[in-house]
Formats: sequence, C-alpha cells, structure tokens
Amino acid sequence: MNDPRPHLSLRLRRRRVRDRLATLLITAGGVGVVVSVLAIGVFLALEVVPLFLGEDALNARELWHPQPVEGYAEPQHRWRPEPLVEGDTTHFGMAPLVWGTLKAALWALLFAVPLALGAAMHSALYMPRRLRARLKPTLELMEALPGVVIGFVAGMLLAPWVERHLAAALLLLVALPFGALLAGGLRALLPVPLQQRLPLGWAGLWLAPWLLLVGGATLWLGPALEAALVGGDLRGWLADTLGLDYAARNAMIVGLAMGFAVIPGIYALAEDALVGVPDSLGEGAQALGATRWQTLCKVVLPAAAPGIFSAMMIGAGRAVGETMIVLMASGNTALMSLNPMEGLRSLSATIAIELPEAAVGGTHYRLLFLAALVLFAFTFLVNTLAEGVRTRLRHRYRRLEGGA
Amino acid sequence: MRTLWHRRGEGPWPWLAAGSVALSLLMLLALLLLLSVRGLGHFWPDEVALVMPQDGQPFAGVAVREERIPGGEARERLYFTGNHDLDGDRWRWVEVSAIAAIRHPAELVVLERSRWGQFLGRLVAVVGDGERHSGEAAWPALQARLAELDALRDERDRLRDDVVVPLVRRLENSGSLGDAESRAALAAAQARIRELQSAMGGDTLILESVDGRRIAQPLDLVLRAWRPNAMTPPQKLMAWSEGVWRFLSEGPRAANSAGGVWPAIFGTVLMVLLMSLVVTPFGVLAGIYLNEVAHQGPLTRLVRIGVRNLAGVPSIVYGVFGLGVFVYGIGGTLDEWFFSDRLPSPTFGTGGLLWASLTLALLTLPVVIVATEEGLARVPDHQREGALALGATRMEMLTRVVLPMTLPAMLTGMILAVARAAGEVAPLMLVGVAKLAPQVPVDGDFPFLHLERKFMHLGYHIYDAAFHGDDVQAAMPLVFATALLLVLVILVLNLTAIFLRHHLRARHGAPRW
Repeated sequence: MNDPRPHLSLRLRRRRVRDRLATLLITAGGVGVVVSVLAIGVFLALEVVPLFLGEDALNARELWHPQPVEGYAEPQHRWRPEPLVEGDTTHFGMAPLVWGTLKAALWALLFAVPLALGAAMHSALYMPRRLRARLKPTLELMEALPGVVIGFVAGMLLAPWVERHLAAALLLLVALPFGALLAGGLRALLPVPLQQRLPLGWAGLWLAPWLLLVGGATLWLGPALEAALVGGDLRGWLADTLGLDYAARNAMIVGLAMGFAVIPGIYALAEDALVGVPDSLGEGAQALGATRWQTLCKVVLPAAAPGIFSAMMIGAGRAVGETMIVLMASGNTALMSLNPMEGLRSLSATIAIELPEAAVGGTHYRLLFLAALVLFAFTFLVNTLAEGVRTRLRHRYRRLEGGA
Repeated sequence: MRTLWHRRGEGPWPWLAAGSVALSLLMLLALLLLLSVRGLGHFWPDEVALVMPQDGQPFAGVAVREERIPGGEARERLYFTGNHDLDGDRWRWVEVSAIAAIRHPAELVVLERSRWGQFLGRLVAVVGDGERHSGEAAWPALQARLAELDALRDERDRLRDDVVVPLVRRLENSGSLGDAESRAALAAAQARIRELQSAMGGDTLILESVDGRRIAQPLDLVLRAWRPNAMTPPQKLMAWSEGVWRFLSEGPRAANSAGGVWPAIFGTVLMVLLMSLVVTPFGVLAGIYLNEVAHQGPLTRLVRIGVRNLAGVPSIVYGVFGLGVFVYGIGGTLDEWFFSDRLPSPTFGTGGLLWASLTLALLTLPVVIVATEEGLARVPDHQREGALALGATRMEMLTRVVLPMTLPAMLTGMILAVARAAGEVAPLMLVGVAKLAPQVPVDGDFPFLHLERKFMHLGYHIYDAAFHGDDVQAAMPLVFATALLLVLVILVLNLTAIFLRHHLRARHGAPRW
C-alpha cells in the first residue's frame, strides 16, 4: 500500500510551522517597532527626571516665575542658560520660550485658519467635482514644500521687503478680501452671458488674476496712502505714537510663513469633514429654499463643526512644533511682548540652536530635553484629541446616513 | 449693494471663500515662480553695464535690483561690481537719477577666480613664456590658455585621486617602510603633479578696471572668463547650461557662497537611501502586524491612533531623541567597546550618516505604517477568505494574495517617506549634518561606506549659506538655485506618490474606513 498521507501531512506540518514562524516574526517585528516608536516619550521623560529629583534639583519656580536679574528692580523672565562671560549668572526662565512658541503659532493660525476654512468651504460646496479632485493634490504639494525653503524665503526676502513696504503690506491684508468681494459685486453687474462665462464654481481660478491686479494696485497706491495718513513713514509713526518697536524678522512674518505651511493641512481635514456630511442634509435644506451659503452656515457647518475643530487642532500642533521656519524668520530673541512686530524665540528653534552645544547631562541639556518633552506631550495630546473627535464624527455621519 | 448680491441669492461670503482659494494658489504659484526665476536666472550670463555717474569714476557692474529710497520718490539701483581685491567691496548702490550714461561695450570681460571672486573690467594683455598678446589678440589667447589650464587641472585631479591617494593610504597601512615599488610609483606621480603645477603657473593677465586701475592676475587662479556683452543668445544658452551642469557636479567654494552643490546632493541622496532601507521593511512589518495579525481590540486601536499621532510630533523632537539615544547612548557605547583607542575623539559618539538615517527612519515610520495599513484595508475581505478557503495558511494568503495587491500602497508610503525625509533639516542639525564635509561618505577606502562620517545636505546647505555666510548677498543666487533643486526633487517625489495613489484608488475603490 502506498499511502500518500504521511507525506502530505509532513508537508502540511512544514507549512504550518512556517506559518507560525512567520506570524511570530511579524508579531515580534511589529510589536518591536510599535514599542520603540512609542518609547520616544518615555525616553524624553526619563532624561528630564533628574532635573527635579536628586541633590542639585531645580526649583520649578525658577522655570516659570520671574526671577531677580542683576540690573533690574523687578524680577524678570530671562532665558540665559549658559553664562555669556565667566562668572555670569545663568537664568532658566522658560516662560519666554513658551510664550514665543505660542505667539508664533497663534499668528500662524490667525493667518491660516480663515484662508484654509474659506478654501475648504469653497471647494466642498461650490467647486465642480473634477476641479476639486485637481485642487486637493495641488494644495498637498504646498504642504510638501520643505520648511527650510519657506523659512529662507520668509527670512531673507519677505522680511526685508515688508520692512521697506510695511504700509503697503498691511494694506494688502485689507485690500485682498475687499477685492474678492468687489469681484462678486462687479460680476453681478455684468450681462448674463458674461456672468455664465465666470461661474462661481471656478472662481478659485479666475479670481487669481483679479486679485493679482488688486494687489498690484494696492502696492502702487500704498506709498501715496502712507504719505497721506502717517506722513510717509509708518514705522516711525508706530514708534512715536504707539511706542511699538519694529524688528525685520518678527511674529507677523513668522505667522505668514508658518501660516503658508499649515494651510494645506487644515484645508485637507476641514474639507474632508465638510464633504463627509451626508448629502441628504444639504439637499433637504436646499429643497426648502435655502441658498448654498445658507445651507452651509445653518446645516453643513454645524454638522461638520467637530471635524473643523480637529483640523484646527492639528494645524496648531504643526505650528507649535515647526522648527526651520521659526528659526529663520523670527530673529530668535527671547522676548515676552504682545507686539506682533517684535521678534520671538520658540522652544523648537531653541533646541535646534542650543542642543548641539550643550554639555551632555548638564542642566542646560536636560532643560532642552524638557522643552522637547513639552513639545512632544503637547502635539501628542492635541493630535489624540483631534483624532478622537474625528472618529466620533465619522460614526455620527454614518448614523445620519443610515437614518436618512 | 445688498440687492445686487442677492440677485442670485448667494450673498457676499462665497466670494471671500473663493478668494481664499485663489489667494492660496496665488501664493504657491508666486513661491514656485520666484524660486524658478531666481534659481535658474543665476546661471544666465547677464550683460555688464558700464555706468558713468554724473560725479565720480565710471564702474562696471551687473544690475541686481532697484529700490525706492525711503521717504522720497527717488530710486536707487544695486550693482554687483565684483573686484573685491581692488574696491574692498562687491556691491554698489547708485541713485538712478545720478547716472549720466550707461553703455554695454562688447570688450568688457568677467573672470571667475578662485581667489577674490569675480573680476569685471577690461583685458589688456596675456603675458607668458616671453610672449605678450595684447589688444585684439588677447581674448583668443586667454581662451586658448584657459582651455589648456582646464586640461592640466583635469589631469592633476585625476592623478591625485586615482594614483596618489590610494598609494599614500597603502603606504600608511603597510607600516613605516612600505614596499619600494609603491614608493617609487608615488614619487613619480608626485613629480608629475609638480610638473603639471608648474606648467599651470607662470602666465599673467594684465587687467584693467574701467576706471583705469591695472592689476596683474596670475592666470592659474582664473577658472573661467566670458564676455557677456559680446555673446549671442545661443552662446548665452550654452553658457547657461554649462553653469547649471557645474552647479550640479562641482563642490562648494568660498565658504559655500560659490561653486556647486554636488556633495550636498550626494549626502542627501545617500542618507535618504539608507533611511528607506531601514524604514520600509520595519514600517511594512508593523503595518502588517497591526492590520493582519494583531487581535483587533481596543488596545490595537489605541496603538494605531498612537502611531498615527506620531506623524504629527514635531521633527525636532525626533532629533532630540536621536541625539540622546543613537548618538550619545548607542554611539557612546560603541565607541567604548570598539574604538576606545581613539577616545576621547568620538567615532560613532558624534553625529553621523548612520544616526541621521536612523533618526529620519523613525520620523518617517508612521508614514509608511499608515500607508501600508491603508493599502491592506483596501483589499476586500473576500479575497482573504477565498485564499483561506482553498487551504492556504495565513502566511501564504498574505504573500500570494494580499501583499501583491498592497504593493503600490507600500510604494506610495515609501515615496512619501522619502519626500518627507529629503526636506527635513531640523533633526539633522542635531544628529550629523555638516556645514562642509571634506570627505564624501563613500570612497575607495575599506569599508567603502563610512557610516560614522558627517555629511552635507541640501536643506542644511540652504540654511547655512543664507544665514551664516559673511557675504549673504553674494550667496543668495546660489541659495535660490539650491532651494529650487530641493523643491523640484520633493515635488517630483510627491507627484509620483499622488499619481500612484490615484491609480490605486481607481483600481480598488475607496477605503473601507
């Protein structure tokens, strides 16, 4: 009798063993990778612990509260981790760095959120589907632009230009939105066939040359307006009447450059949230006679609000941690002022500048690790929160769709 | 106005929304245009103007830009005048209204020199070997001599790289004496180099600036010469493409403010290659584990969210981690175990190629994991069930059915990871990038690939040249060209990824979640 079974079972056993081995390998590899990736936070925390424990522990007050500084009557927030000259006292006030980080992020969001949300609303509601499918990857390319290039252009070109043309630059901020509104108003005056050649759905494209024109006109008019209003020297006027200092590389420039970098991220997530709203909701509102904009404000936006919130959170996370743009466009002066036209120094830029020179294991070194830990914890929490919100939103959409 | 807008019933706000799309696109376009124009324009041989101010000496210069003088209507123009050795400066601002005349005489020459930068002015004579070519004959003579010099330089460099350096290394390794044969070969090669060197020297150019000051310029310090005002457009185009090629293929000169970026390109590519060698297998492994093997419970979901969020953690944090763990932790230990004879000067205990690649691999791991998972989730369950029902083990199901379908997704993830890594600079500043690395990390010396060496990087080159040079203004055109190169590389990578993903979506439909 020639029974093939033992042979088969041997092969089968070999296959099973191989399968189990492979599974084991994948499991070990996967768990290893995941654990090592998640170990980042743990490692940073471990490096920071000796700061606050042990003999020469730092007082936490020293970090966050104003400390007496030689030459000043009032206690000051001061970051000077290494003595400038021999025998100099060191100051470990991290408040200016945190302040600078938040200030930069805030200005970036102030610039990016309106633009990104406006773009998301327009593309989700008005744009033809095919155009939207083209716009998304284009803005993704914008996100892929390296920070060092944006920082270079902002720090070396934009900052000196704005310094020379401050009035015109500020005027642009007003003129461009006004120009967009004007385009809408003027279009309504056109004969109907011409209006149909300029549909609202394609406005994102045909408004671009118009805005260019408006911008050009503003730059041309800027000096005249500056002369008429503030006597031709806005910076001097700001310094004299409002007491505001002006630094070429300042929070506004950082906000503009970093805003440019975070627009695509906010846009993509906000657009996802808006497009994800079940069509039945919007169709219902429009059937009842609402315009598309009314539908957006009263129906779609409230439904998508959590998603838009999470988009802004993720934008904030990116703005807080961005290094090269802040490093190159902010002047890196550790100040604590509200003035948007002064420089700042962020946590991330401080790490990039000082960590290579800090003595391993010293207080300065560990403080920079603390800064990294703060950044890590902040972005991780913000992202987790945003992710949680988005997951719940997806469930809600699914329920709404099911109920319709 | 209200009725006007409400004729079609939409109101003013949609126009603001549309305006923000237009503005975003406009900004992106403006940035790309700026980089292209400034980056590529640098290599175009611009006309040299002979400027006669109303008062004072004439000068030769290339117009750079014009500004309005603050607080007035007058404008001033910036000229690049070169001649650092004569004037002590390379730039000159002139009020436009104070210029009496501008001419473009064909005989003005521009010399690229290895010391003192460019010279702008007139060529009077070429002197050497008892001969003197002056007047009309000077320019052809100069070109002929420069061509000879190029050939000599080439031969010298080849000799040095291919013969002398390997011989010296062999002699060093084989002890103090070495074998007689290689010593003789080395002496011969060095004699030949000295011969070449002396053949290069000796000739002198008599140059005259346009205001009449003469200098004698040793010819061996002149790299190139051209007469932009006498060039026809096709000649300029040739000169332009040569300039682009030199930028891509040469090393930097003059504290990174002149020359090319070849070592930076090489460093960037090598680092990214090493990184993708590390990140692809591990990222794919983790993706497969999370999606196919792990029990899909709350813990896995939590881990998945955690991994996803790591993509949002600032890159500088990874840099800090890399410095603490790889450089000081693992690197320091390796030094104590294997390189203790070289301590206290560190081998692996300082930033280097290996640590930079590993740090960036960690940074891009979430990208690859997420892309792999997305691809795996897109494979319909009935494919898996079909394979299992036919008696395949899980391993066979994965390798024969699921993974082939996921391949494009993994590729997309890898390309996105490479694109992200190529643009990151902040973590590299902590773990191994160098302002100027004299030695490329790959050479003919065992073990050929030197993982402990520092390397140059395009992104860091931009930061360094733009912020740490002594004449930032002079370095600007080169920085623009470098930035354009970096952006082009990243855009091409991203476009490939977008195309792949689009292709994928068209084939498999939308993801399940």
